[in-house]
Amino acid sequence: MKILILSIAIITGILTACNNSSTDKKNINTSTSQPITSNSDTAPKQTHPATDMTTISLKEILDVYLQMKNAFTKDNDKVAAKSANEMVKAFANFNKTALTPDQAKIYNDLEDDAREHAEHIGSNAGKIKHQREHFDMLSKDIYQLVKTFGGGQKLYYDHCPMYNDGKGANWISKTKDIANPYLGKSMPTCGTVKEELK
Amino acid sequence: MNLKKKIAFGLFAGFVAIQFIQPAHNKSDKVLPTDIINTVAVPNQVLNLLQNSCYDCHSNNTQYPWYSFIQPGAWWMASHIRKGKENINFSEFGAYSNRKQQSKLQAIANSIKDQTMPISSYTFLHKKAKLSGDDKAVLNDWIKTSKDSLSIKNN
Repeated sequence: MKILILSIAIITGILTACNNSSTDKKNINTSTSQPITSNSDTAPKQTHPATDMTTISLKEILDVYLQMKNAFTKDNDKVAAKSANEMVKAFANFNKTALTPDQAKIYNDLEDDAREHAEHIGSNAGKIKHQREHFDMLSKDIYQLVKTFGGGQKLYYDHCPMYNDGKGANWISKTKDIANPYLGKSMPTCGTVKEELK
Repeated sequence: MNLKKKIAFGLFAGFVAIQFIQPAHNKSDKVLPTDIINTVAVPNQVLNLLQNSCYDCHSNNTQYPWYSFIQPGAWWMASHIRKGKENINFSEFGAYSNRKQQSKLQAIANSIKDQTMPISSYTFLHKKAKLSGDDKAVLNDWIKTSKDSLSIKNN
């Protein structure tokens, strides 16, 4: 009987501990994410006065996207996750004031989706397969962003026919040479340039 | 009473006490305008599969088995439901942007293929929530059709 009671108590303790730690983690997440976004919201305004507000620049978002893509070509889930977390910040930093209402609608639609993919990639280091599934969907969003607002640099839209059991997937690259982020080191040069983006 | 007995008694009393602290239930009999059935066509067969295998954690309506009232399991379950609804909530599917709806459908297909969902700790207790090969095929077809119809709606 004593053993039974003890074991119930121990299980109780363990389960409550698990439960608490997960809620704690959640609290930490929300409490840290808010200051970061509010900091990054205010920081650029302090350093750049109103003159910068008229240009639409995807540069910061594209830079971290390309970092993430390069990490995937090297099968590096941790760097990919880090870049993805930076992408979430880059979205928060994006200056929406220069957008017309129509543009804002398109942008918000894309950002809402893309940011969630970035969050998933960021929180799934160690599960590169899952990260790549989100990278596939993220790449489509980024492509649409570039098509709509311009990338401000020469970019290539590449296609890998083999990924996802032959369903294929696309990605954006700065270089004409193929470096496949979906198959990584197992098939680094698989793919073709589908479109050149200006 | 020796010390061991006191500790055991204390823990047992704690176990009894937490039974009275029950988390709020995830229950609703309303079908919201944002429900997935109001967003895309959902055939009955598909709806049944979704209800059986997904809705306990991914909708505003959980079917609570009797053991779900035993603490601290109820907290554990409540946290699963909260996280599940954060990732996708079929009751509020229509509130996502069109693009996100398509992404969410794709994410469902991915998690079925990767066998990450329905999560194994859930199917362990809910055997009927397990998806058979046929079930998966039905869901995949539905996902494909729904994604197509959503992408047409977008343009």
